[in-house]
Amino acid sequence: MKIRINGIDCEAQPGEFILDVARRNNIYIPTLCHHDAFAGEARCRLCIVEVVERGRSRVVTSCVYPVAGEIEVATDTEKIRSLRKTLLMLLLARTPQNETIKKLAREYGVTEVARFESDPQEECILCNLCVRACEQLGAGAIYAVNRGVTKKVATLFEEPAEECIGCAACAAICPTGAIKVLEKEGKRIIWNREFEMVPCSNCGRPFATAEQLAFYRARLKVAPDRYGGDRLCENCRQKRAAELASLMSPARLR
Amino acid sequence: MESYKDEDFAAQAKSILERYPREQRFALAMMQDFQRKYDYLSQEAIRQIAAYLQIPSGKIYSLATFYKAFSLEKKGKYIIKVCDGTACHVRSSMQILEEIEKLLGIMPGGTTADGRFSLETVKCLGTCALAPVMVINDEYYGSLTAGKVREILKKYGDGGGADEE
Repeated sequence: MKIRINGIDCEAQPGEFILDVARRNNIYIPTLCHHDAFAGEARCRLCIVEVVERGRSRVVTSCVYPVAGEIEVATDTEKIRSLRKTLLMLLLARTPQNETIKKLAREYGVTEVARFESDPQEECILCNLCVRACEQLGAGAIYAVNRGVTKKVATLFEEPAEECIGCAACAAICPTGAIKVLEKEGKRIIWNREFEMVPCSNCGRPFATAEQLAFYRARLKVAPDRYGGDRLCENCRQKRAAELASLMSPARLR
Repeated sequence: MESYKDEDFAAQAKSILERYPREQRFALAMMQDFQRKYDYLSQEAIRQIAAYLQIPSGKIYSLATFYKAFSLEKKGKYIIKVCDGTACHVRSSMQILEEIEKLLGIMPGGTTADGRFSLETVKCLGTCALAPVMVINDEYYGSLTAGKVREILKKYGDGGGADEE
């Protein structure tokens, strides 16, 4: 079916979310809590858009709004910009020193945070992406604890995470960079726990924690002798794979 | 109220857990059973529930910290719940609370060092006619004044509580 986004005709499947259709057609909608690997959760609500259906206009969160009929979507109307401005003012009230939020807030003309007290240390917007990444990729070491104003993402009993494998997927997916990872001298410190890192067999760069590699090997059932038993970092693995591919290529065999 | 004992805890936990199928939707019911039996959820209880359900312990911890019905620390022998619902509030329940804080040296959510009292606030006990009201374990005390509070707490203090066993 066809929907119109900002006056541009877009092909959409019934049930597809507006945000996905827009992205495919290179129409920008700002998001913080969205990641292609996960279904939308409508937490940050920045992706709000106006939908006109059967002559009625309303504001919906595009990451969870499925296309059901021929609709008209506007992603950047005055109304939407003003609502996003309020959302960003609230986000900025929560994370006053965060660069990502500050930049977005500036774009929407938020100059000051009224009425709210802020914690200058706070950088987390509680989008839940880290929790979902940890659950999907690894250990389930972090979850949201408490509720209301004391809600935060934390490890079990808020102690150094015993389940954590140090993969840092949580930090990688965090839209605001709130989760801190420290890497130095072959060690990685995350969630108050220190991990020894494994050096790449080829280039010698420490690239992953031992716990992480063991976890993935077990989960993916990778034979330990893959790459001749070498443990390769992402770069060297790509190089090695390319070398292997070129060895096998028809051009070379000819 | 029973207390968590290390030696046979695994067996005790099992007797609670095995009343339920290994499905996540029963997690809250299990947690309530532990809370009822021991008055709080110990770290070990959280681990046992998670292990039984084969989910990360953090998930149970997340639930336990979300609901006010669960406590993660051992509570005092007497749990004082001071009502701060609208009716009690307008009849100066905050003064009652302050008096108790002063007498016991703890804030809401806290437990005295001797393990005798825990202090909590609640948002309505449903007995607004008695405002301002508090309940100690299952005993209600209404129409409180600072003086009355001192008398009541004395009863529960050294020299035996009202329902000392």
